[in-house]
Amino acid sequence: MKLSLSWIKDYISLPDDLPLHQLARDLTISTVEVEGMTHLSSQFEHMVLGVVQEIQAHPNADRLWLCLTDIGSEVIEIVCGGTNLRKGMKVAVALPGAKLRWHGEGELIELTRAKVRGIVSNGMICSSSEIGLFDLFPFTSEATIMDLSDFDCTAGTSLAKTLDLEDIILEIDNKSLTNRPDLWGHYGVAREIAAIYSLKLLELSACKPVAPNLQVTLHDPSVSPRYIGLRLDGLSTAQAPYHIRSRIWRLGLRPLNGIVDITNYVMLATGQPTHAFDADYLKGNTQVRFASEGERLLLLNGTDIDLTSTDLVIADDEGPIALAGVMGGKRDSILPQTERIFLEIACFEAKGVRRTSSRVGLRTEAATRYEKGIDPERCDLALTLAVELFYGSYPDLTLAGFTDNYPLSQQDKCLTLSFSWLTRRLGKEIPRETIAAILDRLGFKVSYDEDTVNLVIPSWRGTGDVSIPEDIIEEIARIHGFDNFTPQPISIIFEKPVNQRKMDLDREIREYLAFRCGMNEIYTYPWVSDSLINTVIGTTEGMFSLIAPPSPEERLLRSSLIPSLCKAVAQNLHHSDSFRLFESAKVFFDRDYQSVFDSREFLPHQENHVVASLVGSLDQAGLLFREGKGVVEALPRYLHVESLTMNQLQKPPWADDFLWLNVFSGDESVGNVGLLTRRVALACGIKNAAVVIMELKLDSLKPLPSRSNPYTMISEFPQSSSDLSLIVDRVVKWREITDVIYSVRDQAGLLRDVIFIEEYQGPQVGAGKKSITLRLVIGSFHKTLTSGEIEAFSNSVTRELAKHLGAELRSQ
Amino acid sequence: MQDRLQEIQAQAEHQIASAATEAALQDVKASLFGKQGSLTALMSLLPQMNSEQRPAAGREINALKNHLNSLVETRQEEVRMKAAESFEEFDVTLPGIWPEDGSLHPITQMCYDLNDIFRSMGFELYAEPEITSELYAFDNLNFAFEHPARESMDTYWIAGHDSGTGGERLCLRPHLTGASVRYLQTHKPPFRFVYPGRAFRNEATDARHERAFFQYEALIVSEEFTFASGKIMIKSILDKVFGRDVPVRMRVGFFPFVEPGFEIDMGCLICGGKGCSVCKQVGWIEIMPGGTPHPNVLRAAGLDPNQYTGFYVNIGLDRLVMMRYELDDVRLFRNPDLRFLKQFC
Repeated sequence: MKLSLSWIKDYISLPDDLPLHQLARDLTISTVEVEGMTHLSSQFEHMVLGVVQEIQAHPNADRLWLCLTDIGSEVIEIVCGGTNLRKGMKVAVALPGAKLRWHGEGELIELTRAKVRGIVSNGMICSSSEIGLFDLFPFTSEATIMDLSDFDCTAGTSLAKTLDLEDIILEIDNKSLTNRPDLWGHYGVAREIAAIYSLKLLELSACKPVAPNLQVTLHDPSVSPRYIGLRLDGLSTAQAPYHIRSRIWRLGLRPLNGIVDITNYVMLATGQPTHAFDADYLKGNTQVRFASEGERLLLLNGTDIDLTSTDLVIADDEGPIALAGVMGGKRDSILPQTERIFLEIACFEAKGVRRTSSRVGLRTEAATRYEKGIDPERCDLALTLAVELFYGSYPDLTLAGFTDNYPLSQQDKCLTLSFSWLTRRLGKEIPRETIAAILDRLGFKVSYDEDTVNLVIPSWRGTGDVSIPEDIIEEIARIHGFDNFTPQPISIIFEKPVNQRKMDLDREIREYLAFRCGMNEIYTYPWVSDSLINTVIGTTEGMFSLIAPPSPEERLLRSSLIPSLCKAVAQNLHHSDSFRLFESAKVFFDRDYQSVFDSREFLPHQENHVVASLVGSLDQAGLLFREGKGVVEALPRYLHVESLTMNQLQKPPWADDFLWLNVFSGDESVGNVGLLTRRVALACGIKNAAVVIMELKLDSLKPLPSRSNPYTMISEFPQSSSDLSLIVDRVVKWREITDVIYSVRDQAGLLRDVIFIEEYQGPQVGAGKKSITLRLVIGSFHKTLTSGEIEAFSNSVTRELAKHLGAELRSQ
Repeated sequence: MQDRLQEIQAQAEHQIASAATEAALQDVKASLFGKQGSLTALMSLLPQMNSEQRPAAGREINALKNHLNSLVETRQEEVRMKAAESFEEFDVTLPGIWPEDGSLHPITQMCYDLNDIFRSMGFELYAEPEITSELYAFDNLNFAFEHPARESMDTYWIAGHDSGTGGERLCLRPHLTGASVRYLQTHKPPFRFVYPGRAFRNEATDARHERAFFQYEALIVSEEFTFASGKIMIKSILDKVFGRDVPVRMRVGFFPFVEPGFEIDMGCLICGGKGCSVCKQVGWIEIMPGGTPHPNVLRAAGLDPNQYTGFYVNIGLDRLVMMRYELDDVRLFRNPDLRFLKQFC
C-alpha cells in the first residue's frame, strides 16, 4: 500500500526535526513495515513553470514554433511543436538535465540543449505524457502541451511545487497490514504516528445529513451490519478538482471523473470503501441480500459471472446490481452523462467478501479492505468526508435522499486486566500513567484504580485485532518501544542432561555416511512422478497423492527414497563417473492409521529412511557391492546400535538378480543393499555405471544406551599370519569356508582371525574352479608359538577344507 | 684361524664402507652371514675344533660378527641418509592427496550447529510426522477458520483425505509450529525444546521462494518468561552461527499463534547495516518470526495461559544458510548436484 506523507500531515503535525528515515524506522518497529520511500518530486527535477511571452514561426519548419519563454531567471528560446500554444500560456518547461520520454514512449532520456531544424532549443515545453503526467493531465489530440494557466504560480517556480507534488510516498508491506484493518487509510496511519510521537490527531466530526428517507432493506444484518445510502443530484462527470485528482493519482489510481475520484479519495483517506451507482438506472427498492443460484451479474469490468447463494449482492427490483464489497455492476455504473447517484457507504462482513472475491478472482481495493474486517463505525468518517467533498466539488448539488440502516448498533468491547499482570509479562514496571497515556493515544478508553485497568477497545481495533489481555501487552510494548525493555537473563534448571539416543541416531548415521564413508548428502523433494515410481519400484500402490501437486506429473508422495536417488545419480553422471550420495528423509504410507496425540486425529504410517548409493564403473560392480555391504556391516559398530545381519530372503524390486542382501536387526527386516538392476538403471538414464544402493529404516535401528563393546586383551606374544591359496569349486561360498575353518578343533584357542585376501577365476585355475586366498591369524596369550605349532594348525585347516569342500592348496 | 678372521674383517670393513646402496649392503651381509657366507663357514668349523680352542674361537667369531653387524647398521643409516638426498628433485608443489570429501548438506550443517547451541542451553530435540492434520497445522494454532493458509492454493492437502475436518483432514505440514502442541501434550512443563525439519507450501518458486523448505523452531514455556528475554536467546544463536556480534531487532509482526508477535531482523552482514542490495537498503534482514505463544495455543496443549507463558522463534534455515554462504538462489538446496554440494565439505 502506498501512503502520501502530505496527506498524513492533513491530520497531524509532524515534528520539524524528525528525519524521514527515523519515521520509517519507528513505523516499521511499532506498526507496519515501511518498505521504501520515494520523493515524488525527484521525477520533476530540472522542470519549471514557464510563461510563453512570444511565439514566432520556425524558419525551417512549418509545424514548429520558436517560443520565447520566461522561466523566472531569464527568458529562453524554446522550439516547440505544440498545437495549443498561445501567448501568455503557463507551461511545463523541461531544462537540460531533465529526464523525460519522447512522445511519452520508450526509455527515460536526459534532455540536452540541441538544435532543432537548425535553431538551438534551450529546453522543452512538455506534453503531460512526456513527463509521466498523462493520467493527471489527459489530452486527446496529438501535440497538445500541458496548459498550467490555472495554477497560481509565477514563472520559474519548480514544476513539483507548482503542481503540489513535493510529496513523499511511503511504500508499506501489505503483509504487515493484514491484521490491522484500521491502517488501510491515511487517517488510521496518522493516528498510529500520533500515538508513537505523542502528537495531536485532528478529530473528524460526524455529520448526520438531513434529507428524505431512502429505503434499503438488509436481509441479514450479520453480514451487512450497516448500510448508509445517499441520493445526490446535480452532479456531473467532469474532472474532480485538481487536489483530489492529484492525491489519488500519486497513490497509483487513475483519475476518472469527479464522482468516482471522490469515492476513491474517501477510501484512501478513511479506509472505508464506498460505491456510486447511477441513480437513473436503479429500479425500485434497494436491498442487500444473498444471490440466488442461477442469478447472473455483469460486472463493471465487463465480466459476466454466475452468482451462488453465498455471494452477497446489492439488488434492485430487476436483480443484482453489485457484488457487495467486491465490485459494482455494469448496469448502474457511472456514465459520462450521469447526473444523479446513489452513494453506498456500507459495512460488509469480512469472511463473505473474502469468499466471494477469491471465488471470482477479483482482488479489488474494496475487497482487500473489507476482508480485513472493517468496523461499522467507520462509515461515519466516510460519510462526513464524502458529503464535504461532493458539496465542495459540485455547487449545484442537492441531497435528495438519505438512510443509515444500522440495525444492530455495536456494543462497546471491553477488557479488564491488572497492572501487576502487565508488569510480570512485560518484565518491567511502567508507571500506570504512562500505560494509560499510551492506550489513550491509541484510542482506548482507560479507567483504573489500584491494580485493575478497565479498557474500552476502540471500534476500529475491535473487529478481531484486539480482543484479549495479551493484545494489550503488545500495544504497550510497541508504543513504549521494544528497545526500552531490558532482557532478563534466561535461567536454567539443571535436573538431568538431555539424553536422546534415538534423536541422535539420525545425526550419527549422516555423519557416519558423510565422514567415514565419504558420501555427499543430498536433499530431494517428497513428491515424485508415477513413471519414476513404476520404473524403480514397480507399483504406486499405497502411496498418497496431492490434490494440487507442484506439477501434474509429480503428484505422488514417496514411500521410498530410492527413485529420487536414482534420478540424482543419473543427473550427476553428466559430470562425474564415480561418486557417493546419500539422503535421510521421511516416507509415507497410506495405511496403519494411528491416533497418538489426539483422539480426533488419525495419522498414517510414516518412516524415516536413509538411502545411499555408490557409483562406479560397470566392471567394478562386485567390488562396489562389497563396499556397500561393508558400509552396512560397520554401521552398528560406529553408531552403537544393535548388530545387523544380512541374508537373501526377498529380493528388492530394483535389485540385480544376484547382487543383493536383506538387512536385519534381530528378526526385523530393516533394509537392503544391492546392485541396481540394469533394466532400472537404463530406464533412469544410468548407462555406463554400476550403482550399489543401500536403504535402511532409521526407526528400526535399535540404539544401545551407551558404548557396549568390551575390551579385548592384547596378547604379549607375537601373532603369526599364514596365507593359504585354495582352489575350490566356484559354487563354494566364503561363508562355507569360514564355517569350516571355525569348526576346526582348536583347543588351545590359537585362531585369532580369518581374513579374505582375494578371489580369482580364470585359466590358471581351470573351468568351474576358483582360487581363494585367505589369511589365518594365529597366536596365543601364553607363549610364542613355534613354527611347528603354527604349521600344524594351518595344516589341520587345510585338511578340513579339503575334506568338507574339496579344497586344494594352490601352491602345491 | 686368527689370520682368517683378520682377513675377513679387513675385507668386510672395506666392502661395508664402500657399499653405496642398501642392496649392495645386503649382498655384503649375505657374503658374511648367509648360508654360503664366510663367517657362517668359519662357524661350521667349530665342531671340528678341540674343546680347548673351541670356546675362544667361538667368542672371537661372535665378536667379529657383532662388530660387522653394527658396522652394517651404521653404514645402512648412512646409505639411507644419502638416498634421502635424492628427493632433491621432488616437486613439493604437487597437490596434496585429500581425505575423502564426503559432506553433510549445508542446511544439515546449519541445523546441527543450531542443535549444538540449543543442546548446550538444555533444549531437547523433537520431531513430528510430516503428514499432519488440519487440527495440528491450523486449529490448535489459533488460525481462523477462513484463514487463506488453509486453502489448497497454499497448503498441500492429500487426495482422498481432504474432505473431513480437523484431525481427519491431512496435509504435508505447512510449518513446524504444530509440533509444538504435540510436544506440550506429551511432556511436562517447564519446556525447552527445538523441532527442526522440513515444511511444504504450495507456492510459485523463484530465487527466494521454495515449495519445500527447512525450518527450525524453538520454544520455551515456563511460568516466568518475558518477550525481552527472547532477544537474548535469538542473539546468542545468531552470534554463535555467524561467529561474531550480530545486531538483532524485534519489530511488531502478526502471526495467529503468538501474542505479542514479532518479526525479528538481524543486521545485514553484507553491508554492516549501511544498506545494500541484499537488505534492500534498510540494513536489516528479516530472519524469523517469534513471540509469546498465544493463550489459545497453550490451551490447545492443555496448559493454563494464566500460569504459563514463554517464547517461540521460527528460524528459516534456508535463508540463514544463504546468508552464511552469500547464496542468492534458494532452489539450489534441492538440486542434488555434487558440483554445488561438494563446496560445503
